[in-house]
Amino acid sequence: MDFSFSSDQQLLKNSARAFLDEHVKPALVRSLIDDPRGESEALWKEMAQLGWLGLSLPEEHGGSGLGMVETAILLEEMGRAALPAPYLPTILAARAIAEAGTPEQQQRWLPAIATGSARATIAFLDNDLSWDLSTATATRAVGAPDRWRLSGAKRFVPWAHVADVILVPARSQKGLSLFFVDPSTAGITMSPAPLMDVAGRWSTLALDQVSVTEMLGPSGQVGALLNSVVLCGAVGAAAGMLGAARRCLDMAVSYAKVREQFGQPIGSFQAIRHKCAEMLLEVENSHAATYYAAWALDARSEDHAVAASVAKAYVGDAARKVCSEAIQVHGGIGFTWEYDLHLYFKHAKALEAMYGDGDHHRELIVRQVAG
Amino acid sequence: MDLNYSPEDVAFREKTRRWLEENVPRQDLKTLDERKAWHRTLYEAGYVGMLWPKEYGGWGATPMRQAIVQDEMARIGAPPPINGLGIGFIGPTIIVHGTDQQKQRYLRKMLTAEEIWCQLYSEPNAGSDLASLKTRAEDTGDHFVVNGQKIWTSSGPIADWGILLCRTDLKVPKHKGISCFLLNMRQPGVEVRPLKQITGHSLFSEVFMTNARAEKDDLIGRLSQGWEIAQTTLGYERGANSLGRVTRYAISYHQLVHAAKELKRGGRPLIDDPVVRARLGKMYAELEVQRYAGLRVLSGLNKGETPGAASSITKLSYTEFEKRFYETALEILGPWGQQMVAGEDFEEVDTSSGEPGTFATAFLWSRAGTIYSGSSEVQKNIIGERVLGLPKEVRADRIAR
Repeated sequence: MDFSFSSDQQLLKNSARAFLDEHVKPALVRSLIDDPRGESEALWKEMAQLGWLGLSLPEEHGGSGLGMVETAILLEEMGRAALPAPYLPTILAARAIAEAGTPEQQQRWLPAIATGSARATIAFLDNDLSWDLSTATATRAVGAPDRWRLSGAKRFVPWAHVADVILVPARSQKGLSLFFVDPSTAGITMSPAPLMDVAGRWSTLALDQVSVTEMLGPSGQVGALLNSVVLCGAVGAAAGMLGAARRCLDMAVSYAKVREQFGQPIGSFQAIRHKCAEMLLEVENSHAATYYAAWALDARSEDHAVAASVAKAYVGDAARKVCSEAIQVHGGIGFTWEYDLHLYFKHAKALEAMYGDGDHHRELIVRQVAG
Repeated sequence: MDLNYSPEDVAFREKTRRWLEENVPRQDLKTLDERKAWHRTLYEAGYVGMLWPKEYGGWGATPMRQAIVQDEMARIGAPPPINGLGIGFIGPTIIVHGTDQQKQRYLRKMLTAEEIWCQLYSEPNAGSDLASLKTRAEDTGDHFVVNGQKIWTSSGPIADWGILLCRTDLKVPKHKGISCFLLNMRQPGVEVRPLKQITGHSLFSEVFMTNARAEKDDLIGRLSQGWEIAQTTLGYERGANSLGRVTRYAISYHQLVHAAKELKRGGRPLIDDPVVRARLGKMYAELEVQRYAGLRVLSGLNKGETPGAASSITKLSYTEFEKRFYETALEILGPWGQQMVAGEDFEEVDTSSGEPGTFATAFLWSRAGTIYSGSSEVQKNIIGERVLGLPKEVRADRIAR
């Protein structure tokens, strides 16, 4: 039993922190706000060189074969930096391909993802925004064994505008299936669906008789695959929120040490100090929840699904609280556009709604532990 | 990072479980003698004093093993050992600060519960501000004479000995004039009056000392070193109960789920109500996070790390959780949850004290955790100052001197 990071894991964390502190300063995040792509190609290539893009991919496809714990370590640091990049959607799609793809599909996409030449995403949500994909997916796939036409609407697809491939869940005659979709195919209308988060980009996809020829995973039976990818997304999002929350806590504590009112640093007042202590408690509990769940996914432990839901539900609430309280500690300056707190506050908020929000995961928990 | 238990710890858990299944008393323990006998059985089996060094009669086990024992005891609903304060931190204090003579005289009888110990720290006017305590000990040459009043003393009526903080020097700042003694509770100058708690039970008391006698040999450490000693003992939480505590919550949780399936409102079981489900889901998530955080602390302890001020985070976390948990339970159960005697439809629940009761008892008990051993507010001060490094507050007693 060892809950602390191994020396390799600690090294990964330290190098990620150092890289992001140097290359992803708030000024860079801000500079991408009005950029049409919203991400930096140079940065993506550097992340590939650092081995981040292939971190969890099999070694035969150019990856490092590491697990969810290492992925969460990176995602925490990325959340801490509010890094604008399609990292999580790309690795989730890669994970699905690594798990269920044919050798040809894996060969086509995984090395390209690991080297940074391809980005990918998954269009999970239909119009009703339900994460119960097996029941809620309304997008339909009509056709024969090797050619289908997809019609429907997909909402809040992360980073679809820069993706080289979009995995689209749709209901075929056989049931829930997953399709490789080339975003440039005729019949796809993609429009931006901007949210308040400045570190993420989303699109709405209208699919009208979109011709596709390739499926991922067993026809009509990808419910389990998608659920497992959503759980990885949930833990990944928890890690990102944890990072954002830790950043906000650090900023609040630093500010409380130097900001003076009534002739004293405001951190000496119990009203502020107790707030900071409560924030630290939430951050430490979120750390335990995130990494327990990440380990459980890697170990395929009996409780891995519950643990993933626990992490997403708990950290979502905790990060929202910590980031908001950081604004409160700062007072007026925390409410300004110029001050950086809102970058992390908004980023955590966006992740809170993705891969199942708290209500969704709390219901999943009750289904598993109470029936 | 590897959260699997080692094969040795898994085997140890199995062995402990089997031993408990064979040895846990079938009937409730009613008298102190029966509880002492059970304690003795646990001790001889190696399940009490586990963290104590072997040279003092302990078992030199790892924190993990101790947590496993507590966990298995919670799982099977075994009656807890007694003398928890003694074994948990008065003994360790004597081990660290005591003389050889004190170790010889007190430790073994403490472990075997031949002598029961209590803690004489809080006073009516010295709660969170413990250092302002007023109980005096005056040197008469041969011994010290103690006068004053203590309060919130757990195990007071059954205690043979107490660890006492009292003022021995009035001329120095308040933290500097305090000494620590071991006080014989069985003497004419010591009177114990039980206090009735909001649960209706009397597990703690007031202690009045009127010309009570403290021997010079029973001074712990040096004269006026008491505050420093008290600081180390207050921080002596070694995660022993980190697993057992959560297992108790989990058992209560499943009893709550069971009740929510049985009870109907508006013609349908409570468990089908989405509002109830949302509450249950939230509580389970919080409960599991307590478990994960407990494992994290335990794994650090097991590697010999000392949590220091960070143990305040643990204490704050689980005591505040416990309040929210039983509040939620009573919201779901309505008046059923407020029964002080278990009805036919309701099983007994283990309260945080390890005593059986109803959800109402556990709910009432949960109010204690955020007050004892340093209230939540004191813990937040410690976290703020010593973990986050926030500036000290300006306090009248700091300015004055």
